[in-house]
Amino acid sequence: MVRLENLSKAFRGRPALTGLSLEIQRGEIFGLLGHNGAGKSTTFGLMLGHLHPDGGEAFIAGHSVQRDRARAISRVGAIFETPAFYEYMSGWHNLRFFVSLSGLVPDERLMEAVKLVRLEKRIHDPVRAYSHGMRQRLALAQALLPDPEFILLDEPTEGLDPEGIQEMREMIRHLRDERGLTVMLSSHLLSEVELLCDRVAILHQGRLIFCGSWKSGEPQWRLDLDDWAKAAPVLERVGAVSGGKNLVSLRAGGDMADVVAALVQAGVRVRAVEPVKATLEDFYMGHILP
Amino acid sequence: MSLFLRQLAGELRKLFARKRTFIGFGAFLVFEIVVLFLLRLEKVQGTVRRVIENAGYDASVYLSGLTLGFLIVMWTVFLLEALFLALVAGDVVSKEVEDGSMRMMLCRPVSRGRILLLKGLVAALYTFALTLFVMLTALLAGFLNSGVGGLFVFAPLEGVFAFYDFWPGLLRYLAAVPLLSLSLFTITALAFCLSCFNMKPSAATVITLSILFADTILKNIPYFESLKGLFLTHKMAGWIHVFDYRIPWEMMVENYAWLLAINATLFLIGWQSFERRDFKS
Repeated sequence: MVRLENLSKAFRGRPALTGLSLEIQRGEIFGLLGHNGAGKSTTFGLMLGHLHPDGGEAFIAGHSVQRDRARAISRVGAIFETPAFYEYMSGWHNLRFFVSLSGLVPDERLMEAVKLVRLEKRIHDPVRAYSHGMRQRLALAQALLPDPEFILLDEPTEGLDPEGIQEMREMIRHLRDERGLTVMLSSHLLSEVELLCDRVAILHQGRLIFCGSWKSGEPQWRLDLDDWAKAAPVLERVGAVSGGKNLVSLRAGGDMADVVAALVQAGVRVRAVEPVKATLEDFYMGHILP
Repeated sequence: MSLFLRQLAGELRKLFARKRTFIGFGAFLVFEIVVLFLLRLEKVQGTVRRVIENAGYDASVYLSGLTLGFLIVMWTVFLLEALFLALVAGDVVSKEVEDGSMRMMLCRPVSRGRILLLKGLVAALYTFALTLFVMLTALLAGFLNSGVGGLFVFAPLEGVFAFYDFWPGLLRYLAAVPLLSLSLFTITALAFCLSCFNMKPSAATVITLSILFADTILKNIPYFESLKGLFLTHKMAGWIHVFDYRIPWEMMVENYAWLLAINATLFLIGWQSFERRDFKS
């Protein structure tokens, strides 16, 4: 669905993105992570043709954004961190205006999108009277019109309350599961990305330092043992790998019960065994920190 | 075509849904009332009456609504309308960039050139609408104040001095609307061009007005008399010659051809700048 080839961009000589290449498959929810200034928004800008790259090319549905932008983004919807609507116009007129730039869309279709984001009661109010959550929902409605295959969400949960965050998460899932949309999102809320994304890319100082599934590692356990020196050869014998910080991972097919039995037999006292649930935050920090 | 019209309607709605757009209309109404009030003062009327009578005409016929309408337009339009045109046209692109709505527009499969074309058309329509409004309300105010009568035209800088009966005068007055709009569109085009560059909306407005004022000042320096024809404001004043007994068509066509070329060039410069720009948050 999306292919980025060696994308680079610098602002006033300072590199914002260097040689970014990645691919996103159709129907995937893909997360883009990174600190502020890591190049996430630059990537989105290049993918939408808001920015001209210094090098490289972005392809959406097989069309180059740089050479044939209109065709490449004809089935793309996007939301920004702070969606900028015309405050003095109603939500409805905002929608009509933005959608008219994509083509002729009947009012019934607009209303469907409004209902989907549950804004039908306030859609004729001026946008200046909208809360942040309502603006985000309006932004989602406009991103879903007329009929995107791929949506870009730049910090879609920024500034939302917990209820709004959950609503947005369910909406994104619904869009992928029910409508088959491909989604690319960036967020500082790693817990949200963890719940939503199939794969992630991590940008650090404009460079891609990881791309793939962060869950691909072997399951880990935390052991509380009285003598790690005595336990080391036993662990090696049963095929468990010590990962430091009292962590042990098992090779494919390994069973923790066998490991515990072997340790006890060897005279090592096992005080506690606890499965460690890998979090995206740990994974992210593990890549970012030196 | 229908999609283009819908997009144009959307742009027009955006422009006319803003209160700021109407400041110009409101300001002109107030200003016209003030000028009319001043023109009612005996001292002022006496001066105008003397000029008419010295030329051998009857002041009771030519100190009319049509004459007052013309005077209001001639005295006010270049400074006051220029201000509002620069304000609105200076905002057209740069305000949207500043607010972030331009990025939202550019998420759509529409070319930058088309966006600018729509905005340029809207700015042109606004110029025409404001000019038409100014000329018609000035005329209406003149009629309400002094009733129907002949037209007396006195524009010393352009060398126009003429008297017309009501109908020929009204015809020339109405013919001046599109010509004045075209003249004033140069200000719109300049502000529009500047707003395509990476600058604040207020900067586009201020630079436009500065250029206009500088041009006026230079044109009025006596030593530059021989260069007068080169100045922008001189070419823009061509509309007044529609009130000449014998309209100098050759000069007017030349002036307006220049203005059209300048406007087209300004649009192209703005477009090129807009195409090359990066839009980021």
